[in-house]
Amino acid sequence: MIRYLARCAAQFAVALVGIVTVAFFLMRAIPGDPALYMLGDFATAEALATLRARLGLDLPVWQQYGVFLLRAAQGDMGVSVVTGQSALAEIWAAVPPSATLAVAGMMIAICFGVPLGIIAAVRQGSAVDLAVMLLALGGISFPVFWLGLVAILTLSHALGIFPALGATSEPGFWKGLHHLALPALVLGLSVAAYIARLTRSAMLEILGQDFIRVARAMGVPERRIVWHLAFRNALIPVLAVIGVTFAWSLGNAILVEAVFSRPGLGSTILKAILSRDYQLVQAGVLVLAAAVVLLNTALDLIYGAIDPRLRRT
Amino acid sequence: MTARTEAEEALEDNAARKRATVRRYLRHPSFMIGAIGIGLLLLVALFAPWISPHSPTRTDLMNTLSQPSATYWLGTDQFGRCVLSRLIHGAQVSLQVGFFVVLISLSAGTLLGAVAGYAGGFVERALVAIIDILLAFPSFLLALALVAARGNTLDSIIIAVAIAYTPRVAAVMRSVVLTIRPRPFIEASRAIGLSTWTIIIRHVIPNALPPVIVVATVSAATAILAEAGLSFLGLGVQPPTPTWGNVIAEGQTAITTNPLISLSAGLCIAFTVIVLNLLGDGLRDTLDPQMRRNTGKLL
Repeated sequence: MIRYLARCAAQFAVALVGIVTVAFFLMRAIPGDPALYMLGDFATAEALATLRARLGLDLPVWQQYGVFLLRAAQGDMGVSVVTGQSALAEIWAAVPPSATLAVAGMMIAICFGVPLGIIAAVRQGSAVDLAVMLLALGGISFPVFWLGLVAILTLSHALGIFPALGATSEPGFWKGLHHLALPALVLGLSVAAYIARLTRSAMLEILGQDFIRVARAMGVPERRIVWHLAFRNALIPVLAVIGVTFAWSLGNAILVEAVFSRPGLGSTILKAILSRDYQLVQAGVLVLAAAVVLLNTALDLIYGAIDPRLRRT
Repeated sequence: MTARTEAEEALEDNAARKRATVRRYLRHPSFMIGAIGIGLLLLVALFAPWISPHSPTRTDLMNTLSQPSATYWLGTDQFGRCVLSRLIHGAQVSLQVGFFVVLISLSAGTLLGAVAGYAGGFVERALVAIIDILLAFPSFLLALALVAARGNTLDSIIIAVAIAYTPRVAAVMRSVVLTIRPRPFIEASRAIGLSTWTIIIRHVIPNALPPVIVVATVSAATAILAEAGLSFLGLGVQPPTPTWGNVIAEGQTAITTNPLISLSAGLCIAFTVIVLNLLGDGLRDTLDPQMRRNTGKLL
């Protein structure tokens, strides 16, 4: 078990260095001079040179990369070109609202997606299966920002149940929850559609295996077959699906935040992109990718806990 | 004489098999609905200038935000532009993005995945590491950052989305190639002295294509969604050029008075994504023998 833990930790570290490297070279590809942007078109050549030197932009790229890697290891992602604040601090400030949205959305997605996928698989070919699969096809086919607009139009504008704004400055847990409801629901249902489809196919595969047929022949009650035998075996593919959809839902969260004017990583990164604030974009992309890697590492650990065979390989 | 009849029989067998394959496609409801839907969309995009009732960029300032009428079937937007004409022309952008993203990510991903799967050893480990790292980036975010880097022309959007989706194709390709590599005909090709590249291009890739084509069809759908998302955020193809994404964004300001603008554009996107997914499902069932038992079921 300790070896398994160590291997997971090592993989996590390697993946982190990898994403830092990719993020670095990706951002260097952005044309335009950040120093020129900061100081404006009328800056003197001297001022530009000083600022470039301060930002380390006058060094050769590989040297910049070395410095960047060393600083990243100490948690220093540079300063925002626009505000002059620490880029990582600015990104961290935007994490709580985004994390709240992502967690609430994932919870809704799992609560709807997994049971619906199981029911559809157990009743394969029935009207229930068809209905669930049609809903799921709709969920993955409509753009999430469009679903957001429809939700505003119906649940907010016509029925007045939820506010159209995804956040409020007023204090209070219930107030915040009330504003969070629509964005979380929209994000959650779009992800639930994916989870339902993939859970269904994972369950169908397990339900078609020999040991299930044997259990049926031995007269094991159907409920026990579904929940005890099939679902426990489908758990790993289902968890894998949740891991895959998490990365995808982070992308969707950017769009959902835009629709509901909700502050968070999405609006911060978007603003940074529009103002060519590459330090900030870099830090934002890194934090999101690191979140994906962290979740995948956590899932690897859970797989090991669920299925002892995986610990040995 | 016997030899000729055998040859003829073989030919007939072949023809019969081909007919059976065609029949299998025609009988598959998902495949047919998907194929017809995509065909319709292609026609709309190709003949957009002739079938759209108005120019998509002509403004009619006397008729801004008008409700549907005989002149403007879906009404007009805040600049008095015909919404229907904008949607018809928007199909061009979406289908181009879908087509070229698949073309690029399929070619690059197939090659990368095939090399990674076939080469083994250090090359495989290095390529797999790169693919895995790229997969950790949420692909929409990656496309977003790349568009920011390259500007928002149609070309750079296509390249950005293609780069974001290439690692997925590569990952699928590699896993398929891993099952092909140990098969006897590959060993035979090596035994008769074919070069590695010849084996990869002539024997490995053609045999691994079916599942990859299915992934490609579905990624055309995700690419179209990604482009719409970029357009919605204002990072896509710039107005006044109509795209379904920017029609939704522009309709957002009038969502309570003229909901039809955003709603109809969303339906266009969903229709395209649904037919592509149905086509992908149909292809999976007909191309992949293991999935064949599901043939004939919608969804």
